Amino acid sequence: MKKQNDKKIRKTGLGARASRRISNTIIYVILILITVVWLFPFVGILLESFKSETNMQTPYLLPREFGFDHYIRLFKETDFLIWFGNTAIMGVATAVLQTVFILSMSYVLSRLRFKGRKWLMNMMLILGMFPGFLTLILIYKVFADVGLTERMAPLGLIIVYCASSAMGYYVSKGFFDTIPKSLDEAARVDGATRFQVFYKVIMPLSKPIVIYTILMGFMAPWGDFILASYLIHENSQGMNVAVGMYEWLSRTNINTHYTMFCAAGVIVAIPVVAVFLGLQKYYVEGVTGGAVKG
Amino acid sequence: MKRLSNLDYLKLNKWQAFWYNLGLFFCAIPLFFKKLGLGILKFFKNCFFALRDEFVDIGSTFKRGNWAVKLSFFIFGFGNLFYGQILRGILFLLFEIVFVGYMLLPNGGIYWLTKGNWFKVGATVGTVQTQHNVYDEVLDSYTTIWGDDSVKVMLYGLLTFIFIFAFIYTWRLQVKQCRICMDITAKGKKIKSGREDMRSLLDDQFHKTLLALPLTGILAFTVLPIIYMVLVAFTSYDAAHDGSSNLFSWVGLKHFNELFNFGHGGLGLTFGEILSWTLMWAFFATFTNYFLGMFVAIMINKKGIKIKKFWRTVLVMTIAIPQFVSLLYVSKLFTTSGLIGRILDRIPFIYNYRTSNFYVSLWDSPTLARILLIVINIWIGIPHIMLIATGILMNIPQDLYESAKIDGASSVQQFSKITLPYMLFVTGPYLLTSFVGNLNNFNVIYLLSGGNPIKGTAGGASVGHTDLLITWLFKMTVGSPESKYYIASIIGILVFLVVAILSLIIYNVIPSTRNEEDYK
Amino acid sequence: MKISKILSAFLAAIILVACLTSCNMGGNNDNDDITDLTGTYNVTMWVSEKEGVVAQFKQQIAAFMKANPGIVIKASIEGVTEADAGSKVVADVATAPDIYCFAQDQLARLVQAGALAKLGAKAAETIKANNDAGAVAAATVVGTLYAYPMTSDNGYYLYYDKSIISEEDADSLEAIIAACEKNGKKFRYALENAWYTASFFFATGCHSTWTMNDSGEFIGIDDDFNSAAGIIAMKGMQKLAQSTCYDSNADDFLDTGAIVTGIWNSGAAADYFGEKLGATDLPSFSIDGKSYHLGSYTGNKLMGVKPQPDPKKAAVLSLLAQYLTGEECQKQRFESFEWGPSNKAVQASEAVQANESLAALAKQGEHGMPQGQIGGAWWDIARVLGAKAKTATSEADLQAALDNYDAAIYSWLNIPPEKR
Repeated sequence: MKKQNDKKIRKTGLGARASRRISNTIIYVILILITVVWLFPFVGILLESFKSETNMQTPYLLPREFGFDHYIRLFKETDFLIWFGNTAIMGVATAVLQTVFILSMSYVLSRLRFKGRKWLMNMMLILGMFPGFLTLILIYKVFADVGLTERMAPLGLIIVYCASSAMGYYVSKGFFDTIPKSLDEAARVDGATRFQVFYKVIMPLSKPIVIYTILMGFMAPWGDFILASYLIHENSQGMNVAVGMYEWLSRTNINTHYTMFCAAGVIVAIPVVAVFLGLQKYYVEGVTGGAVKG
Repeated sequence: MKRLSNLDYLKLNKWQAFWYNLGLFFCAIPLFFKKLGLGILKFFKNCFFALRDEFVDIGSTFKRGNWAVKLSFFIFGFGNLFYGQILRGILFLLFEIVFVGYMLLPNGGIYWLTKGNWFKVGATVGTVQTQHNVYDEVLDSYTTIWGDDSVKVMLYGLLTFIFIFAFIYTWRLQVKQCRICMDITAKGKKIKSGREDMRSLLDDQFHKTLLALPLTGILAFTVLPIIYMVLVAFTSYDAAHDGSSNLFSWVGLKHFNELFNFGHGGLGLTFGEILSWTLMWAFFATFTNYFLGMFVAIMINKKGIKIKKFWRTVLVMTIAIPQFVSLLYVSKLFTTSGLIGRILDRIPFIYNYRTSNFYVSLWDSPTLARILLIVINIWIGIPHIMLIATGILMNIPQDLYESAKIDGASSVQQFSKITLPYMLFVTGPYLLTSFVGNLNNFNVIYLLSGGNPIKGTAGGASVGHTDLLITWLFKMTVGSPESKYYIASIIGILVFLVVAILSLIIYNVIPSTRNEEDYK
Repeated sequence: MKISKILSAFLAAIILVACLTSCNMGGNNDNDDITDLTGTYNVTMWVSEKEGVVAQFKQQIAAFMKANPGIVIKASIEGVTEADAGSKVVADVATAPDIYCFAQDQLARLVQAGALAKLGAKAAETIKANNDAGAVAAATVVGTLYAYPMTSDNGYYLYYDKSIISEEDADSLEAIIAACEKNGKKFRYALENAWYTASFFFATGCHSTWTMNDSGEFIGIDDDFNSAAGIIAMKGMQKLAQSTCYDSNADDFLDTGAIVTGIWNSGAAADYFGEKLGATDLPSFSIDGKSYHLGSYTGNKLMGVKPQPDPKKAAVLSLLAQYLTGEECQKQRFESFEWGPSNKAVQASEAVQANESLAALAKQGEHGMPQGQIGGAWWDIARVLGAKAKTATSEADLQAALDNYDAAIYSWLNIPPEKR
């Protein structure tokens, strides 16, 4: 294919090649610009975290005195390690549970036909249109009664993250829809139960979507602020990173904790980015599949 | 509007075709509402008939049933036990015992139902008011005697209602099963045993096994709280009446009036303004991302561009890094002393606009703040659509382009005639979901501008120029001096209506090409 | 067939019953001798989130236990910003902490929500005797004390750069603006925060007083911001806001020539200005040849106790709050964090008298206006005045802003225009 193209260009002469070279150069310039814009804030946070100053908005980007002071302070003087641990536990637990929930739901809706299936899908579509915040107030009240807030908030949060997660079945249902139905039917003819079809035939084919779902579940707790701050109710032992760090930007703290916030941001970003970039391939598959297949 | 034949349509030039389509779109809206109305009517009609059939069936079951069937009208599971389905029979019976026990317990169902003063406008939810500041002379201190908590009273009342519905449903279910057992035995066939029941849960009834957990979760954490919050719209639940220290009461439709009152003390105007900005925001946020993302994807995928993976990874970083870190940092970058804010201020146009309108920071100007939000949102949103577009672009058959090239089409023409229609065709549903997602895009607004600058006008003093409905809702719960949960709940209902109507219109009016079973 | 449905309904029923029964079990303390306060008490507390505050409170509670043998306090203390503590408490009083610190402007809402226990007669007497009058007034709603004053430093004054602004210039708003413009420095003044906006109105003699009923609900306002004097105040703000040196961000010190802020930034100010640090009261501005000295709000931080069903715990919490807001603890807080005391004895001490920032605050106090109780929406309504003064181009604009202010306040109070 490529060779053919090259030939064609050669035939049409030097003009086309030159114009292609110009257009490619322009594209490179744009892409480099985009790279700069996209990475600027991240590089900014990184550099900021090495500054020796503690206050906000020093009018230069490069640290004048390079140091790891904030990182050391972070672990020595604050509860950051606890917050980080909480969040990591939530991330792993949510990843596992959410995957179970979402895969069950999407598999059922994609493969099995039963009475009320259409109705179920419509109900979930409608429920999804209500803003999720509305549920917060009641959930907080009930959880406070049962003891799943404050110090136990991480457990409560895992339950909240997972309980309704099956409503986000769309992407994985789209994936299951693409697996040929003839596979199931063949297995059924051989006498397999539906359960056996599920874990012996479909699951082995579903690695990409399983990983995608795990990835999504793992990342959610790292960025959650509102829901978490509600349930945590200011208990520093039960905080996740977002809620804990947000306090450092308050009026009384920002001048002493701003660069520490950046340092903590860097540490938070590391595991999430590492996992994300490692599994990027699956994320791309999930996102594309989800959008195309609806 | 008259529909043109295919031939006539092809004769139109580009602009005419555009206006024609636009006209079709708007003409279809009233039609859509008519269809919606008829659909709702039909739904109720069907419900009515279904209910009638149920009653007829119950009647006939009682009439022709044997004594075991008749007895199972009163004792749950009796029929199942009689026909040898021990497991089911015991479960049904247990359910009845638990239900009756719960209802009659001193602190059980009937207690909660009477406490709630349900549907009595003006009455408090709960009956025992908390007594504040009771003086204790011996210790010279004030104590409080806690009374009912309206929130709990309402919750347990609601749960009791649900329990009653479940009871009626189960009653109906076991009566029906009992009749089926009778019919099967009459035909001389064998009835399923408990063991077979269990086994079928992994086979014919596998969907029930798989759905049990997810559906319980959705019921408990989405359906129940939503019903609850809809009820809150009819109460006076706010910071001064938080339920535990002051009971709140049923007020009926009073607060709905407040929201649709455009005059003194009403929230009507505020609501209108916020809604229009919310729609504007969703429109711009969706389409800027969509087209720019596609553009970037095309650039990266162009032949001859190297290290494609690198460019993609760079963009994807905004998805990977938690938003509360990146967005909070970015919002600080754009203040007057932030790095970018300082650079932008060197641009004469922005500087002049800012200073001639006496805005200190870019975030202080309603217009600039809105533009900034849309621009920063591009930074966050492009990567998603870039990934999607990349996947789709690879699926476009290359020979389409080849033949277009042979016909002498320029790259602009190739884009507008092949790439764009194909993309729009395939990503229609995605556009809808991302539009709805942007209507409720809490994170971007809350972390970047927090809804500021504040309007400070009558009716919702804390509302800002960049507040979306969803952030306004948040401000009405804990984010501002006035925690009015009832208003939050009404806003929630309205958000739902806006989203639902928009989705329905878009799905129905735009000729939908996708049918679920199509890709199989 | 329907077996899973039955199973799930059954499970749900069991969970429900379990919940209901567990929720109705309340523990009762045995009360053998009601005057004996000894025992173990679990106390949850919210104090300022500033670094080191939580640790110091822990030490002070340990000292309290030493002073009151037999009383064991098991405290769990969290840092929560005092500006928001009130809104978080009223959101759900049942789960609020037993003791919490808050800025005085939230008192009315807290009383209205039933989130504060009244002080006993003896406690009230002690508090009234030991704290300055402004602090006592700040903790009072319609004649009843509801909270324990912690600080009397919630006010603002001027920090300036001595190298560009002389002591004499620091008395005049115009001179400060000129000096800052000349040197390309910022004059930081958070005009878009109602707390600061008000200072211009107080300068021209305006006042704004709210009235409320016993339950802490606001029922009326006596306010003359929308008047000829109000227009003068707006013009004064305009002078500052439309200058190129003006910056509304008063928590940042970058390129600062002068800044109007409070004691909480004293550390940051000392770091930034170093040798050149000057601190004094707010300047005067002049309109049409007349000079007006900027006023200010003076306010307090308070400590509140949540209502308790157990009279013993209520009494212990009251003792604890009295101790924590007493002389010794206020002195320690002044030494560690420079928090200005509300306790008269500490105020009189040499160390406090010698503190430059507190001296400036005291000097400004002569033009201060005790904050009293203010309706919650006022903060959002009044802060717009600052923004409007900035963008106004004519006197009509200023008048329109004040009209809007009036309308918004009466609308919030739900008083129709004809009944004002």
